[in-house]
Amino acid sequence: MAIWIDPEKCNGCYGALQPPCLRMCPGDLIVKDVAANKAYLKYVNDCWDCLPCVKVCPEEAIEFHLSPQFAGKGARLIPHVVKGKDLIEWESIDVFGKRETFEIRTKLIAMALDEKLEGEPQPIDFSI
Amino acid sequence: MKIERKIIDTDILIIGGGTAGCMAAVEAKERYPNLKVTILEKAHIDRSGCLAGGMNAINAYLNKGETAESFTKYVKWDACGLIREDLVSSMAELFEYCVKKVEKWGLPILCDEVGNYQARGRWNIKINGESLKPILAKAARSAGAQVYNWIVTTNLLTDHNRVIGAVGFSLRTGAFYIVHAKATIMATGGASRLYRPNNPGDAAYKTWYCPYNTGAGYAMGIRSGAEMTSFEMRYVALRTKDTIAPTGTIALGVNAPQINAKGEKFMKTRYAEMGGDHSPTPYRTYGPMQEMKEGRGPIYLDTRGLSEKQVYDLKAAYLDMYPSMVLYWTANNINPAKEPIEVQVTEPYIVGGHCQSGYWVDTNRKTTLDGLYAAGDVSGGAPYKFVSGCWSEGVIAARAAGEAIVGAGSKPTLHPLSEEQMAIEEERTYKPLLMMGKIRYPFSPAELEARLQKIMDQYAGGASTGYEMNEELLTLARERLSHLPDALSQLVASDWHQLMKAHEVIDRVDLAQVLVEHLIYRKETRWPSYQTRVDYPKRNDATWLLFVNSRRDRGSDKINMFTRPYKQSV
Ligand SMILES: Cc1cc2nc3c(=O)[nH]c(=O)nc-3n(C[C@H](O)[C@H](O)[C@H](O)COP(=O)(O)OP(=O)(O)OC[C@H]3O[C@@H](n4cnc5c(N)ncnc54)[C@H](O)[C@@H]3O)c2cc1C
Ligand code: SF4
Ligand code: SF4
Repeated sequence: MAIWIDPEKCNGCYGALQPPCLRMCPGDLIVKDVAANKAYLKYVNDCWDCLPCVKVCPEEAIEFHLSPQFAGKGARLIPHVVKGKDLIEWESIDVFGKRETFEIRTKLIAMALDEKLEGEPQPIDFSI
Repeated sequence: MKIERKIIDTDILIIGGGTAGCMAAVEAKERYPNLKVTILEKAHIDRSGCLAGGMNAINAYLNKGETAESFTKYVKWDACGLIREDLVSSMAELFEYCVKKVEKWGLPILCDEVGNYQARGRWNIKINGESLKPILAKAARSAGAQVYNWIVTTNLLTDHNRVIGAVGFSLRTGAFYIVHAKATIMATGGASRLYRPNNPGDAAYKTWYCPYNTGAGYAMGIRSGAEMTSFEMRYVALRTKDTIAPTGTIALGVNAPQINAKGEKFMKTRYAEMGGDHSPTPYRTYGPMQEMKEGRGPIYLDTRGLSEKQVYDLKAAYLDMYPSMVLYWTANNINPAKEPIEVQVTEPYIVGGHCQSGYWVDTNRKTTLDGLYAAGDVSGGAPYKFVSGCWSEGVIAARAAGEAIVGAGSKPTLHPLSEEQMAIEEERTYKPLLMMGKIRYPFSPAELEARLQKIMDQYAGGASTGYEMNEELLTLARERLSHLPDALSQLVASDWHQLMKAHEVIDRVDLAQVLVEHLIYRKETRWPSYQTRVDYPKRNDATWLLFVNSRRDRGSDKINMFTRPYKQSV
């Protein structure tokens, strides 16, 4: 189990059929339950821990967890994308609650909430 | 089941929109704006392949005072004397061209006070490359390449010895894509998950190399009769324990030496004549492997005594490329300044950009099949490519492909597609899905993958035999693998995702069989740890300073092995 999508926080990117988390997974592991309007990690054992899904979620609904083979639970690592600033602020919290932050330069590429596939209706297009 | 067909005509088809593929697309559109350039990508080009998580360095760059020649000499030494010097020097000449381009597109590169790129070791420069992949993808799209995401390419289309396009299916709609092209560039990266992975169960995909690159490009070439080279130079990497993160960030970033359980700097004492901690890359894996074998493990990179600032910078560097390293340290309460970082050895990967396994190409990156070029980790003969060398090869291949279409001389036209070939390929592509429910004893992709990995692990020099092999073990590997093509006919898939997984297994079986023939053929140990032949433990330049190549016969599927001479120019 590598990432976990918090169903309380995931808003399904409104009506998106191909929300950013799903699109950005290089292994095609995330699917959207259209009826529930929530995304979830379908193939939990196939995750590379590469984190594009976590970074692009506009709701910060996706948590990154290490395999229980590697470590105990409870420590957190959260990338906060600082909009309009080409920055990612990483927040690392250990099991005792001690926090460390890293502000790292990047180049943010705008990303739509949905993307049209051939033969599908037009997606909603408001960039994040 | 009625399968929808999409037929696309294009000038240049690029299979795999990764590092090399995106750069090839930009170069092709910039140089030949009138040509149509099409990318088929199994994931989404914004975050696919090796670069999905990001990068923190460009590992091949000519820092101040270095030249293409000094680079080529170094790479030859690092690869134990055998490389295609023509390929390595031609890619080195384009490092700067490519890096400057990507910098212009917005990649932050770390500079010193006077504006020079910050070097990390002799050949690396530091970047903040978390977004490297979306930057490249945007450039490819803006240049006007036509991008088809989520198309799993399953085979090349050929007319005798000419490649005339490729076929695949959509992971989203299931449609059958037939792309008809005047020139095709293969850029699908290398292969992971051939051997049993380091971690079982829920961490099986916690590999170093991208687990979604499963050698499709090698396999398509093998099936079409392309000449391949040097598969026996596998990549067995030294990586951090459990997370399997790259160690260059520590070894080069803060100059941490390897130490054994007793605290001894064994590379310095036992491999001094090879260069100690700066020995050729295979020896930096072989050294620690031997320490562990002889009971002096675990092995560490000695980071003790780093300053607080150095530890902070180290974590920041991992966040740009491999964030799980930082969570691992946090969750396990590890402070690299207080305790050394444990390392381990990975399962073997096939990666033409670190080693030199892949298509046998000329300096234009043209393969032995007409109309087919290869760039990046899928292309052979040129190790030490990394990100920048993959870019260079994308550029070289795109220029050659474009020139072949618009230049003087006989121009390729769109060869007519035969309905028969399309029907055969369609049936081959969808077979596992069509077989669902029709077979009494079906195999799931995961089951056959486990069988393949077990054979490779135990008989073809995997972790369970200490990465060592001999003729007898390899002959058994050959025999065991020979049953897999039959088993593949029992392979079933229940949906589009499983169909992709099925093709990932099919491709790896074709690759594994050729890999084992290469391992059997080279009767020396040229690259200890990558290719440790215990029955031929020494490097033997008198007989084996040459390339081991292969070609699978299209009719009989027999794998023919032969050699090609090494040519020295530097
Ligand atoms: C974790 C990690 C860290 C690294 N760190 C560095 C670093 O810091 N610096 C550095 O210089 N190098 C680094 N490297 C090496 C470098 O990233 C690779 O050598 C290089 O990116 C490979 O480029 P490529 O184009 O050959 O493959 P990729 O960039 O992986 O592209 C291959 C593409 O083909 C697609 N594909 C695969 N199969 C199919 C198919 N059947 N149909 C359609 N598409 C397909 C894939 O989805 C992918 O998009 C690192 C590699 C890894 C894995
Ligand atoms: S961490 Fe990577 S592999 Fe895992 S679900 Fe997210 S994008 Fe996919
Ligand atoms: S990107 Fe975030 S909010 Fe949108 S569907 Fe995915 S998890 Fe839910």
